[in-house]
Amino acid sequence: MASPAYYESLLSSAKRLRISTPKPSLSNSIQCRALSQTATTQARQDRPTRSRRNSSQSSIKDDPLRMELRNIRLPKAVQATYLAPLKRTPTHGIPVCDLQMRSYSVRNLEIFADFCLRAAYYLNLPAKGPVPLPKITERWTVPKSNFVHKKSQENFERVTMRRLVQIQDGHPETVALWLAYIQKNRYYGVGLKANVFEHGGLEVGSEMDAEATKVKDAVDEKLKLLGGGPSMSRAHQRVNTMVHDEPFKAAYGAYSPMNQAESVPNAAERLVTVPLDPEVPEQMKEAARARRG
Amino acid sequence: MAQFRGKKLDLGCFVNIMNIRDHTKRKVFEQHEPERQALRYIIRNTSLPQRTRAQAQLELSQMHCYTRPTQIRNRCVMGAKGRGVFRDFRMARFQFRLNALAGNIPGVKKASW
Repeated sequence: MASPAYYESLLSSAKRLRISTPKPSLSNSIQCRALSQTATTQARQDRPTRSRRNSSQSSIKDDPLRMELRNIRLPKAVQATYLAPLKRTPTHGIPVCDLQMRSYSVRNLEIFADFCLRAAYYLNLPAKGPVPLPKITERWTVPKSNFVHKKSQENFERVTMRRLVQIQDGHPETVALWLAYIQKNRYYGVGLKANVFEHGGLEVGSEMDAEATKVKDAVDEKLKLLGGGPSMSRAHQRVNTMVHDEPFKAAYGAYSPMNQAESVPNAAERLVTVPLDPEVPEQMKEAARARRG
Repeated sequence: MAQFRGKKLDLGCFVNIMNIRDHTKRKVFEQHEPERQALRYIIRNTSLPQRTRAQAQLELSQMHCYTRPTQIRNRCVMGAKGRGVFRDFRMARFQFRLNALAGNIPGVKKASW
């Protein structure tokens, strides 16, 4: 069983291979998570070992400089990597970013979730999680043979594990930085999906209006360069009136039944028309004339 | 049809006339899709003159059959089989089984529950 790297001092990391460690007891393996490693390591080193390299070990042990180096505690940041990730406490609890990680292997997923939480801590982002989301299990059943024999089949499955890390009360820029950092240091076999929420003030409407006027001014400037301007808008109006003009509409069959068949040729001449009464108002007469073509 | 086919082989999967043909159809459809959609729009637009719409109908019906999306069929990338192809893996059932047992498909294992 390989002993964890932090049992050894900073200098003797190369010698780690030579020194055969005695069987670590249960108490030792529990203390892996404890901050004060030096004392226990010391105790273990002092214990008599039955290994053949006892003589060489004793020389190392007797070296006072090495002993002293062995007693130097690890840096706090390094110690922290052996402990559960630290978390900032959110002040308001407003979710800003939901990061979902997916993988087919739990180990990769756990490692990466841990990494994400640590990154969030050092960026001063309050993070929650990792929340284990329900697994997605897909199953397929296929016949074992390549041809017929449907009775003997085989089942296959793919289980997708998911973890959710939620960032709360983070500045959008910091969150973007965090996401970029995580993306840069992606871990193999882990997929990422982030939902980023942005919060605005209550004056969103007025802000959007201001933005719209700004955009309109910019577009108008561009349109002036096009040579359009008021003359173009006039042309636009003319086209509009033309399109809605009655004779024009009649010409392309807008008044025919079902709006699609062309009108009957020379329909105006073939209609039986009754002359209008003199008391019919002038406007109606006008309309009738227009309709006739 | 040979006139659509690429001069050089541009396929990375199992090569077979059926796979080449299907690949060609996909490419031709992709090329002509805007044209097809424009004609379809003209045909369905009731505010256009009947003549235009009839012309568009003719034009659409006279386009090459390779430009139709219905010509495309999912084929196995490992053996060009046309039936029993999983969309998730683009493989026919037997090739899927072989690859899954060999561990070539990430995450897919033998299931027992």
